[in-house]
Amino acid sequence: MSNISPGPDDEGRRTFLKMMGVLGVGLVGAGALRGVIQNLLPSTSNVVSAFPTLILISGSGSPIKTGDITVNAPTVVLFQYPLENEPNFLLRLGDANNNDKAIESVSVSVPATGKSFQSPGGVGPYRSIVASSAICQHLGCDPPEIRFHPPSDASFPGLVHCDCHGSTYDPSKGFAVVTGPTTQPLPNAILSYDSTNDTYKVVNMVGPTIYGHSNDLSGGNQLPSKTTTTVLVQGS
Amino acid sequence: MSGKKESMIEKIMNDPQPIPRKVPDYMRKKGGGWYWTGAMIMVVFIYEVLTGLFLLFFYEPTNAYGSTENFLNNTPFGSIIITTHLYGAYLMIGLIYVHLLRNLFVGAYKKPREFQWLTGLLLLVMTLGVAFFGYSMSGDVLSYDATDVGRGIAAGVPFIGTSLRGLFFGNGTDTSLFLYMRGWHIVLTVGIGMLFLIHFFMAEYNTIMPSGEDSKFKAPAIDKDDGTYKAWYPFNMVYMTQILFLVFGVLIIIPSILALLPGAPTLFSPFPQVSPSSPLAASVPSYPPWFLLFVYKALDFTMVQGIGPFWGTVIFAGFPLVYLFLLPYLDRKESLRIRDRPVTVSFGIIGTIYMIGLSIWGALTPGAAIPDEYVLLFFFVPGALVFLISYYAAKLMRDQKLQEGAEKIYLSIGVTGVASFGSGILILSSLASPSPLHLIGMILLLMVTAIGMAVTYAMIFGIRIKDREIQFKPMKKSSYTVTAGGFTMAAIVIFIEISIMPINSVFNDSLYGIGLGLIFLIVGAFIRLYRASIYGE
Repeated sequence: MSNISPGPDDEGRRTFLKMMGVLGVGLVGAGALRGVIQNLLPSTSNVVSAFPTLILISGSGSPIKTGDITVNAPTVVLFQYPLENEPNFLLRLGDANNNDKAIESVSVSVPATGKSFQSPGGVGPYRSIVASSAICQHLGCDPPEIRFHPPSDASFPGLVHCDCHGSTYDPSKGFAVVTGPTTQPLPNAILSYDSTNDTYKVVNMVGPTIYGHSNDLSGGNQLPSKTTTTVLVQGS
Repeated sequence: MSGKKESMIEKIMNDPQPIPRKVPDYMRKKGGGWYWTGAMIMVVFIYEVLTGLFLLFFYEPTNAYGSTENFLNNTPFGSIIITTHLYGAYLMIGLIYVHLLRNLFVGAYKKPREFQWLTGLLLLVMTLGVAFFGYSMSGDVLSYDATDVGRGIAAGVPFIGTSLRGLFFGNGTDTSLFLYMRGWHIVLTVGIGMLFLIHFFMAEYNTIMPSGEDSKFKAPAIDKDDGTYKAWYPFNMVYMTQILFLVFGVLIIIPSILALLPGAPTLFSPFPQVSPSSPLAASVPSYPPWFLLFVYKALDFTMVQGIGPFWGTVIFAGFPLVYLFLLPYLDRKESLRIRDRPVTVSFGIIGTIYMIGLSIWGALTPGAAIPDEYVLLFFFVPGALVFLISYYAAKLMRDQKLQEGAEKIYLSIGVTGVASFGSGILILSSLASPSPLHLIGMILLLMVTAIGMAVTYAMIFGIRIKDREIQFKPMKKSSYTVTAGGFTMAAIVIFIEISIMPINSVFNDSLYGIGLGLIFLIVGAFIRLYRASIYGE
């Protein structure tokens, strides 16, 4: 039956065939691997492809005015950006006497990487309004565990503190790290102020990636509106 | 050894057998594929588990239809994974029926394989269950139709109906429904995996069902290594790798091609239908998956509508199943010859005809009530015909008037029966609603019927076709090498194509699927070549 007996003259041919076979199996594996990996990688394209520009509105649907935001408010004021499950603080910073404090754009260092980024600085008529992700960069605690503590006297300028593990951030310096254990500042939300009609828009994020997300634009559902995001006081 | 009959467990413990077993050479030759239907099912099952694990990452029971559509349209390679997962299920069920019928006709349910047969039937039931839940998980309009029928059947069980419905379909809300169905889909799959292992080790222990010549057509048919069997490694392993690649190739290519064809019929479309809340939903005829069409049609019968869907299912799916479960104990005769088992064989053929017939009927007239007299006609005529022909053919075989090995006659009887039934329906429907589709279908089926009848006649009354000696003619060594190189080159070209092509649409996904499937087939063919060239098989 077996009239092809493997002999010395067959060795080279056999090796060649084996190599071809292994190559073929490898090709199949590699070809399938592309599909497998690309399929499981969370993609950004199916949610939003770029940071949206959203007008900040109140719960009643009208745009937020400067007067709607309290200086040094002790309550937790949040809006979602850029996706539904990504809350951000909206803060109007002031001194211990509740007078608006102008916030400069500063270079914020990221201790985890040693790099730094430029904070957007305050906006509004008094350049006192800032915003940042409200998810702690240490282990992802949400408000009210992480919240803004207003200034009490000249020695305490008002800081964002997380009760979970004690991380503290300075909102007047681009939410830079004041005390650990966090090694990354809060991602800053970039606001823009339109002085002609006293409205605020959120246009982008700068700084580290929002905690728990592979990308600021992934890992959540798109906001219900493509033009607005609602500012809400937590607990109300 | 005492004369006492030992149980299987005792035998396994006291007399362990080498696993994996060597197998006879004829299993790897032309026509040996019939011995590997179980292996093919296992390969498809593995594919289903792998793709299913991917789907698990994306499925949201709170948003079943939305997440399915999103996976299909917006996730890279999503359409290829979900359509091949569906078609893998179809292929698995199809192969299970083939495996079941093959083992029925060769008598593999007899001693010593009774328990193997019973576990196989359990695996069939569980696979149908898994497929039902999986099919219903997409949340499209058909899935709602199917779950409604499923809920009706479950609720119709006496005494425990309401609890059963809750057990399988949740508390009635959609979220609960899809959570439960995903749960059962996975739980039953795990169950299949475990039961399959038992089934597999029984098969290893009981040996493969040897060919008729080897077993002298007598139970218990045990395969014995006469010392000439080739080693399991590499011969069998390479052969099984070949099966794996060919099956994967077919499995990936078919739905990829179907996905490119516009307007595939609802029953065979690789995509989900519209959402039940869509205005188009009303235009989709309510079909269950094709493998349950026969039960669905049976529920349309007037007599069944009087007794409810549960008892309808018991009669049309439960009784045949009970018969199959009892078969090893009903047919205890020693002979494995088809001519000595006309009742079993007839029931096998009739059951197949009924199932295919009911399925076609259900596909053509979904949901139309059928009066009792038509039902009786449908069940009586083919049944009586098959019994008569089978008995007559068996008698002719016993009297040596029909040549040995003419068992293929039963295949032609079955084909003729199905085709004549189908053409009868199509004649009626082309009279009722003339359309080119009906006409072409009718002509084709009439031709099949005529050919089937002619072949059956020829087999019974002479026209002996001289058996040609099938001989293995090896090609030249150099041509093997050249062909193998050519295959690999083709695989490389296709691989480069599918590696650089952008994946941004279902269309491109399907092209990728065709390419990947082709490489699988090429590697499968290459392995065949390798076996021929190096092993002389």
